Amino acid sequence: MPDKKEDIRIGVFLCHCGSNIAGYLDMEELEEFSRKLPHVTFVLRNLYTCSEGGINEIKKAIEEQNLNRVVVASCTPRTHEPLFRSSCGEAGLNPYLFEMVNIRDQCSWVHMKEQEAGTTKAKDLIRMGVAKAALLEPQEPIMSEVQRRALVLGGGIAGMTASLALANRGYEVVLIEKEESLGGMLNNLNKLSPTMTDAGALADEKIKAVTGHVNITVFTKAKVTEVRGFIGKYNVDIETESGVTTIDIGVIVVSTGGRAFVPEGLYGYDGKRVVTQLEMEKLLKDGLDTDIKNVVMIQCVGSRNEERPYCSRICCQTAVKNAMLIREQNPDSKVSILYRDMQMYGVENEEMFRDSKAKGVRYINYDPANPPQVEFDKVRVYHPLFGRDMDLPVDLVVLSTPVVSQEGAEEISQLLRVPIDENGFFLEGHVKLKPLDFATDGIFLCGSARFPANIRETVAQGLGAASRASIPLAKGSIVVEPIISVLADEDACRGCGLCVALCPYGALEVRTTEKGRKVHVIDVACKGCGVCAATCYQHALSINSFTDNQIEAQLEAFLD
Amino acid sequence: MCTGRVDPALVAKAFKKGIDGLMVVGCYFGDCHYITGNHQAKAKMDMTRKLFKFIGLNEDRLAFRQCSSGEASVFVELVSEFDQKILDIGPLGGDGDTVKAPEIFKKLEAAEAVLAGEKIRWIIGKRTPFLETGNMYGEVFTEHEFNRAIDMIIVEEMEVQEILARLKETARSVKDLANDLTIPPARVFRYISALKRKGMVALDTVAGQTPIFQIARQEV
Amino acid sequence: MLDVGRHPNLELLAYSEVEKVEGEAGNFKVTVRRKTRYVEEDRCTGCGACAEKCPTAVPDAFNEGLGARSAIYSYFAQGIPSTHTIDPDHCRQLNGKKCGICAKTCQAEAINFEQEDRIIELNVGAIIIAAGYDIFDPSLIPEYRYREIANVVTAIEFERLLSASGPTEGHMDRPSDRAVLAEIAALEKKAKKSQKALDKLEKKFDEPSAAFYGKYQAGEYEGDEDRKKWADKYASHLKIVEPLEELKKKAKRFTVAKRLAFIQCVGSRDFRFYPFCSGYCCMHSIKEAVIAQEHAPETTSTIFGMDIRAIGKGFEEYKIRGGNNSNITYVRGRIAEITEGPNNNPVVTYENTRERKVESREFDMVVLATACAPTKGIGTLAKTVGVELDKYNFIKTSSLSPVDTTTPGIFVCGCAESPMDVPESVAQASSAAQRAAEIAFQSELEKEKAVA
Repeated sequence: MPDKKEDIRIGVFLCHCGSNIAGYLDMEELEEFSRKLPHVTFVLRNLYTCSEGGINEIKKAIEEQNLNRVVVASCTPRTHEPLFRSSCGEAGLNPYLFEMVNIRDQCSWVHMKEQEAGTTKAKDLIRMGVAKAALLEPQEPIMSEVQRRALVLGGGIAGMTASLALANRGYEVVLIEKEESLGGMLNNLNKLSPTMTDAGALADEKIKAVTGHVNITVFTKAKVTEVRGFIGKYNVDIETESGVTTIDIGVIVVSTGGRAFVPEGLYGYDGKRVVTQLEMEKLLKDGLDTDIKNVVMIQCVGSRNEERPYCSRICCQTAVKNAMLIREQNPDSKVSILYRDMQMYGVENEEMFRDSKAKGVRYINYDPANPPQVEFDKVRVYHPLFGRDMDLPVDLVVLSTPVVSQEGAEEISQLLRVPIDENGFFLEGHVKLKPLDFATDGIFLCGSARFPANIRETVAQGLGAASRASIPLAKGSIVVEPIISVLADEDACRGCGLCVALCPYGALEVRTTEKGRKVHVIDVACKGCGVCAATCYQHALSINSFTDNQIEAQLEAFLD
Repeated sequence: MCTGRVDPALVAKAFKKGIDGLMVVGCYFGDCHYITGNHQAKAKMDMTRKLFKFIGLNEDRLAFRQCSSGEASVFVELVSEFDQKILDIGPLGGDGDTVKAPEIFKKLEAAEAVLAGEKIRWIIGKRTPFLETGNMYGEVFTEHEFNRAIDMIIVEEMEVQEILARLKETARSVKDLANDLTIPPARVFRYISALKRKGMVALDTVAGQTPIFQIARQEV
Repeated sequence: MLDVGRHPNLELLAYSEVEKVEGEAGNFKVTVRRKTRYVEEDRCTGCGACAEKCPTAVPDAFNEGLGARSAIYSYFAQGIPSTHTIDPDHCRQLNGKKCGICAKTCQAEAINFEQEDRIIELNVGAIIIAAGYDIFDPSLIPEYRYREIANVVTAIEFERLLSASGPTEGHMDRPSDRAVLAEIAALEKKAKKSQKALDKLEKKFDEPSAAFYGKYQAGEYEGDEDRKKWADKYASHLKIVEPLEELKKKAKRFTVAKRLAFIQCVGSRDFRFYPFCSGYCCMHSIKEAVIAQEHAPETTSTIFGMDIRAIGKGFEEYKIRGGNNSNITYVRGRIAEITEGPNNNPVVTYENTRERKVESREFDMVVLATACAPTKGIGTLAKTVGVELDKYNFIKTSSLSPVDTTTPGIFVCGCAESPMDVPESVAQASSAAQRAAEIAFQSELEKEKAVA
C-alpha cells in the first residue's frame, strides 16, 4: 500500500447514466476538470458505469493504470455503492479505497434547467470526492463468531414459544424462570379469549414440550446476575438455589412479561366484594358462587390517567370475556361494564364484543371526569344517554386494572444495557419497524415485557422474536462494514465515559487496560453514526472513512 | 453517518475558512436512523449558534433543520429559504455581523478551540442526562438552568481562548490583556491563575511591579 | 424495500402471479406467471428517461388518481425494483398507434414490445402469504356521498394530499378548488389559442377586436364575410374568457382546508359491510390531524368515532397530545349523513350523545377512515394456494397458531390475516418467517435421516 501522498493514483469514472446526467451536464468539461485534480491519473467516461461494460472498465483501469483509489461520479450510493465497492475488491483493490460522488440526484436532476450551474456543482462535488479519496485508508470487514445458543429470560407463554421455536430449528436454548415453575401469567388465568381455550391446559402442554425438548435447558427459581460481552459472545452468570452457573450465549430474548396492577384504595378494592379481573379469573376457575347475581365491571382502573397515561390494550377483552363467562355460569345474573372506550380492536375482539351484547352483557359509557361511585351494595354511574345517574345493584364489583411492567424490569434493563420507556416497559429499537429488536444488536423482545398483549399477539411475538434472534445464530458469524468508530488515539483517551453514555447502541465500554481506563469499541455492535467522535473532547475516537481530516479535506476542496 | 457526527469544531473551522452559511439537515425527531443522533446534532448546533452570537457572528448563518428523504419539496424550500437568508446577511464579517472581518476570523479561531475543548463538549454531551436523570448529585436541571450554564461556559471558555491566543502572539500583563479584550482585570487575573495552575501559562518577566505572562513552553 | 432488493438470499419476482401450487410442506412446486413489462429487467437501469419522454398521461394509481403518470412508469419513485413497466392498456405503440418514443429514448436498449409472459416453476419448502388488503370503497355508503361531494375524501387520499411528494406538495388544497383550478388552466389554454387567432385578425384590420365588435353589432359591416368570421371568432372567444374571469375571481377566495372532520368506522363496525373493527384507523386519523395542524397551525380537526381505540404502545398518549397540542376534538358518535353546504363545504350531521341532541356542522373537508377490506384477489389466491378463508375472507388462522393457515407449510402475515398496524405486521412477518424456517429445518432433517 502506498504510504506517501505522491504514490496516490486516483481513477475517476464519470457516468453519463444514458442521458440522465450527460443530457444536462457538460461531461467533456467534467472530464477535463477531473484530469487536473491532484493525484488523478486516469479519467474515463461511461455510458453506464454500473453496466457490465462499465464495471469491466473500472477493473481494467485498476490493473492497467495501477490505480489505488477509485472515484465514481454517478448516481446514489444508496443503490450503487455496494456494487462499485465489490467490483474494486474483485480487481484486487481494497473496497474501502472507493469513493462515490452523486452528480445525478444532486446535480443533473435538480439543476436540469441550469447546465452551467449544475456542471459547476458537479465539479465541486468531484473535487471534494477526490480530495477525500486521497486520504482514504484500506479497511477490512469485521468478523466475529456467534455462539449458537440463545438465552430466553422469562418462562411465560412468550418465552416458552420463543424457546420452542428456536429449539425446533436446532439451536440450543437456555430458558430462565424466576418462579418455581414455568407458565407465567397463564398459571393464574382461567380461559383465553376469544376461543375460550383453557389457560392451564395450554400451560401444561407448552411446559411439557419445553421440558421435554432436547435442545432446551430450563433453570427455574433462577435469575441472571451478570451479563458480559456482546452479540455472539455473551457470557452470562445464572444464579439458582444450587449456585451460580456461567454460560456462553450468542443471543438474548427478553420475555419477562408484565403483572396486573393492584388497585389499592381505588373503588373500595378489598379483594372480596371488589376484586380485579385477575382475581375474577380465579373465581371463575373455581366456580362462581351461585348467589352472585349482579356484577358491575369498571374499566380503566389505574390506567389512562395522569400517573399511568397508557391504555393497557387487553383489559376490555378480558372484561368482555369474563362477563360472558359469568353469564354462562350464573345464567340469571346481570353484568354491566362501565367503560370509557371499548377497545375491542380487530376481527375477533369486535366479534366477541357483539356476541356479548347478544348474550345480555350491558355497556354503559362513563366520563372519567365523573367516574362511577362504588357503595356497599350498589354502583352509581351517570348514564349519558338517559342524562341522569343510575344505581346498579351489586354483589360483586370487578375492576379492570392495567398490565404494568414486571418487577425487576429495571434491573434487567441495567444488566443488558437496554432501555425501558416511561411506563417501565422495555423499549424496542424502532416502534414501527423494529418492534421485536432492541437497538443493541443481539437482544430481542416479545410479549408483555414490551407492552400488554393478548394470547394471539404474545404467541406471534414469541415466534417473531425467535425469528429475529435466529438470524445471527443461523449465520454463525457476524460480518460488519468497517465504517465504524475506532479508538484512533489510545493515549489521548482518558476513559471518561462520555461517549459510552451517548452511544445509542451500547457499542462502547470503558475497560481497564495497562495504560489505565480506556474506551473500547465493540466493533460488531457499532453502526458508525459518529456521535462519539463528534463528542470526544480528547479527539481520541474517529470514524473510519469519515475521519476529521477526511472531512476537513473535503471542506477545503469545497472552498478551493 | 449521522448528523450527530457533525462536530461543532468543524463547523467553526468551516466558517473560519470562509464559508458564509452552513445548514445541517437531519431526520425528524423519532425518525432518526441512528435513534438519537439528531437530538445530539440539534443540541450541538443550538450551542454553536449561541457561541456565534456571543462572538459577534450572525447566528443565523448556522441552521439546523429537519426533513425526511421523501420530502423533496420541503428540502427545496429549506435550501431556498436558507440561501436567501445568507444572501440577505451578506459576506462573512460584513454588515450582517456585529464583529467585522478580519477581527471575526480571530474570534472564530478561538471559537474553534472552545468547541474542540473539554468543558463545552462535556456539558453538551451530558445535556440529556442533566435534563432527565440529573447530575451526579441527582439534581435535575431545567432547560432554562441548563441554557444559563451553557451561556456562562461560553463566556468563560471564549475569554480563556482569547487570552491564550493573545499570549501566543506575545507575552503580556494582566492589564494589557484586560484592555485588549475588554474583560475586567480581576477576571483576567482569575483565568491567568487557573491557566498557571494547569501549566498552560507561565510567568515571563516582571516589568517593574507588573508580572508579564507567556504561554508555557509545552504549549508553544 | 432497498434491503429486500439487495439481499443476496432474496430473489424478487415483482409483477408476477402464482398460478398453481402442488406438493406439501417441505416440498411445494409453485408455478409463477411473470407478467410482461415490455422492458428487459436485466437491462433497465431505472433511470426514468423513458417516462419523461412518454407522451401518454395516465391517472396515477399511486397518488390515488389525484395526479398523472406516463404509460411507461415505475409505480412510485423509490419503488424496488426500479425496473419500469409499460401499461399495455394505455401505451400508444401497444394499441396499434405509431410511437415507440421510449424505445428510442432508452440508451440501455431495454424496451422490448415483443416481450411475452413467462411461466416459471419454483421448488420451495414453505409459503408465506402477505397479500395485504384493499381499502373499502366508501361510495357504497349512500349517506356519506363520497364522489358526489368533492371535499369528502378517503384517508389514503388525504395522506397523498398531506405528502410533500404528493400531488399538492403537502398543501391541503380542497379537491373542489383543485377542480376549478384545473378548469381555469384548461380555459386559459383555450383562450390563449383563440387570442392568437384574434391577434392575427386585429393586425390585418388594424383595430382592436372589442372596438370592432361594437361597431359590428351596430350593423356597420353588414355583408362583409371576412369581418363576420372575425365577429364569430370574437364571440366564441368571449364565451371562453367570461366564465374564465368568473372562475378566476372565485379562485381568489380559495384557501387551504382548515376545518377538518375525520369520520371513523367507514365500512367497519357496520353490519351492512364489515362488522369487524379495522384496528388502525383511529390512529391514522389522529396522525393525519396532527400532521395537518403541523402544516398549517390554525387547522382544527374533529374526530367522530364510537370508541377511539388508541390501544398500541404510546397511542393513548399520542391521542391526548393531539387533543392538547394539535387542535383535535374527539366527538363520540356515528355520523348520520353528509350534505353539501355553501362554498362546497361538506356538512356533517350527527347525534351528540353527550348532549343528547342532533347537530350539524360545516367543515372545509371531510376525511373518511375507510375499513380494511380483504383484498379482491384473495379468494382466487386462497383457492390456488389451497388455504381456507374465514367468514370475512381473511385467511383463516387460530389464536394459538397465529400465522399458520389451515394447510401445513403455508403461513400468513399482515392484513391478509386480519387488520393490523405496522408494528404488528412487522412482528407477524417475523413470526411467519420463523414458522417457515421451522418447516425448512425439519424437512432438511428428515432428508438427512432418509439418507442415513
